Amino acid sequence: MISFAQTLFYLFSAIIIFAALRVVTVRNPIHAALYLVLTFFTTAALWILLEAEFLAITLVLVYVGAVMVLFLFVIMMLDIDLAVMREGFVRSLPVAGLVALVMLAIMVMVVGPQHFGMALYPAVTPHAADYSNTRELGRLLYTVYLYPFEIAAVILLVAIVAAIALTLRQRKDSRYQQVELQVAVERNDRLRIVSMPAEEPRP
Amino acid sequence: MNFIHPQFSLALPEMILLGMISIILIADLFISDKGRVVTYLMTQATLVLAAIATAAVMGADVALSFNGHFIIDPLASLTKLFIYLVSMVAFAYSRSYLIERDMYRGEYFVLGLTAVLGMMVLASAHSLLTLYLGLELLSLSLYAMVGLRRDSSQAAEAAMKYFVLGAMASAMLLYGMSMIYGATGTLNLWEIRDAVAEGSGHSLVLIFGLVFLMVGVAFKLGAAPFHMWVPDVYHGAPTSVTLFLSSAPKLAAFVLMIRLLVDALPALASAWSDMLVIIAVLSIVLGNVIAIAQLNIKRMLAYSGISHIGFLLLGVLSATPEGYAAAFYYAIVYAIMSLGGFAMVLVMSRQGFEADELSDYAGLNERSPIIALMMLFIMFSMAGVPPLLGFWAKLAVIQAIVAVEYYQLAVLAVLFSVVGAFYYLRVIRIIYFDKPTERRELKPANDLKVIFIANAMLVLLLGLFPESLMNLCQSAFIY
Amino acid sequence: MPQYRRADRIHQMLENYLPVLIFIAVGLVFGAFMVVLGMILSPSRPDDEKLSRYECGFEAFAGARSEFDVRFYLVAILFIIFDLEIAFLFPWATVLRELGLFGLLSMTLFLAILVVGFIYEWKKGALQWE
Repeated sequence: MISFAQTLFYLFSAIIIFAALRVVTVRNPIHAALYLVLTFFTTAALWILLEAEFLAITLVLVYVGAVMVLFLFVIMMLDIDLAVMREGFVRSLPVAGLVALVMLAIMVMVVGPQHFGMALYPAVTPHAADYSNTRELGRLLYTVYLYPFEIAAVILLVAIVAAIALTLRQRKDSRYQQVELQVAVERNDRLRIVSMPAEEPRP
Repeated sequence: MNFIHPQFSLALPEMILLGMISIILIADLFISDKGRVVTYLMTQATLVLAAIATAAVMGADVALSFNGHFIIDPLASLTKLFIYLVSMVAFAYSRSYLIERDMYRGEYFVLGLTAVLGMMVLASAHSLLTLYLGLELLSLSLYAMVGLRRDSSQAAEAAMKYFVLGAMASAMLLYGMSMIYGATGTLNLWEIRDAVAEGSGHSLVLIFGLVFLMVGVAFKLGAAPFHMWVPDVYHGAPTSVTLFLSSAPKLAAFVLMIRLLVDALPALASAWSDMLVIIAVLSIVLGNVIAIAQLNIKRMLAYSGISHIGFLLLGVLSATPEGYAAAFYYAIVYAIMSLGGFAMVLVMSRQGFEADELSDYAGLNERSPIIALMMLFIMFSMAGVPPLLGFWAKLAVIQAIVAVEYYQLAVLAVLFSVVGAFYYLRVIRIIYFDKPTERRELKPANDLKVIFIANAMLVLLLGLFPESLMNLCQSAFIY
Repeated sequence: MPQYRRADRIHQMLENYLPVLIFIAVGLVFGAFMVVLGMILSPSRPDDEKLSRYECGFEAFAGARSEFDVRFYLVAILFIIFDLEIAFLFPWATVLRELGLFGLLSMTLFLAILVVGFIYEWKKGALQWE
């Protein structure tokens, strides 16, 4: 008898597989990006089924909310010629398909139930309704995993430096408002009262 | 998992480097283009400070910290010291090149230092997580450095190729790690070793994971058949970046391999040894044969690098401590020779002229005999001519595989180092016997010239007295 | 209190998410229903002019997709970086009292590293829109 949670698992998995396939087969890159959003959403649903709620919400927030925006920017930025992009898809399909099938067969052999089946692992201890995955994560991340956590910060720093070093172009002739100068301006900087001798009216 | 308060002092070199990176990044914002030498000197000072700190925390015994994510052992400390040395030389070489090409910016040095930090994290990583993060920190910095010259479409293409293929390799590595984690239930390298030795975790899953780890590592090392990026990236990147890219990171990639294969999966030695045989043979054969056809010296050195990595792998695949020491020796020797090899291109180039075609070297002897002589040393050393440094490195790895009775492999290695000698000697022929196409006097910057001569003399001197370096390398594995 | 079967008890924590699931299902059904209703009921008589791209007053001379300035990309990537940083703050905030001073300091270091990056991008003018 399949439980309700298992039904949900199979439903979401089916959606993920469908959406992921569409990402690579759909013609329009914007649609592909939207299918990727669907993939992320359903993956988040799977993670919730695994009781990893914090990761699920982070996936939605970071990947759907931010990374996908970046993807859309890139797609728009590139001015992709659809016809050129599709070229070679059919030609390389047989080889790519064959490689994918072989990979799939090997993965099924290895990751299948005989190695990772339910019977091989102890039953998961049920969590109470007030169990918080976020708190458990917090207890580990900032203590036991302190070192990797700080390296992650350095990687983010490198990302900032790299992004700016690679894309920021400062034009010499660009003009922009300097708010601090605008605020600091005084009456005397703008207005000069000059006393001039009154002109004699011409006779 | 119980939390043990970490012993921060062990990570002093890493902390110094991180602190100095922050200081340099901020300080450089307030430094004008004329005063950029301050940034450069601060970078070099950082590496000196880190070296002092590493020497201070270095001990004969092994110490863990940060709940098993971090390790200090002789291999980690020695690798770090060599990484500082090689990086210092690489920065020193690049200074005048950068000034001439409008690339003399603070970001170059900051990204170089973050790459060094990534290598340090790799060198003392003791869990799959830190290995991966260290590798990403290193790779991310290198991708950006390759693309730093923005007006060159060649560099942009190289950066793009490097990034896309590098991300693929990282994904492979990560997938392999997830398999190992799934089979053993731990990230800690020694706990993985114990779990595998106890027989928990199915061997098929472990081998499957190992294959992916191997793909990732071979890519990062630039070994065939995962070498496609090497010639394009080495060719397209600015020469000073190529010089850095081809030296210190190879040491880090070597430690990555040792940590994964030897520290975590010694029980699978027979499996990974067989895989390495294939990779090593392909690298030696492909590297040496394709290098013959190259007319661009950067591409030639790239293919020669692939073959050197193949030789390095010979030491690892012997799966003995002597073999690892020989491979470590080879990695250091290769880093030194590669610095010299690409420095040749730097010495010859000037503003608006990259000197990366072999014909640019024609008749160099008439223009500058001393530099021609130094190039002779470096080329002979790469070819493995005794008594130069490269010979001892080749000898050490071949001894290591003969000791485990891989005779055919040894014969093949010797045979192809003879094939390899052909294209190194061709460079020397061009330098000494071809008519010079231009007579202009060669005027490299003074610091560049001095370091280049010192570099080449080191190749000669370490070749005359090979024991000291060899003993140092052995102390990392045999204690 | 009703007796739960074992399979149900395992997923007690997941029951918190049942309303979300119902919400998604209702949203999907309702949204699809509206679209289908529109398709069925509305008149549809397309011709060439109606289907052509709309451009005010003249023939369209280029596709809608044109190249974007790379600066948008820079803003987006800087946004992602700080978005990730915020993501790290959530688990920390929930257990800060338990972690005590050590937890506070570990997050301080994390934030300090990113503040260095923030100072860099500010001073560099990456946040300035010309």
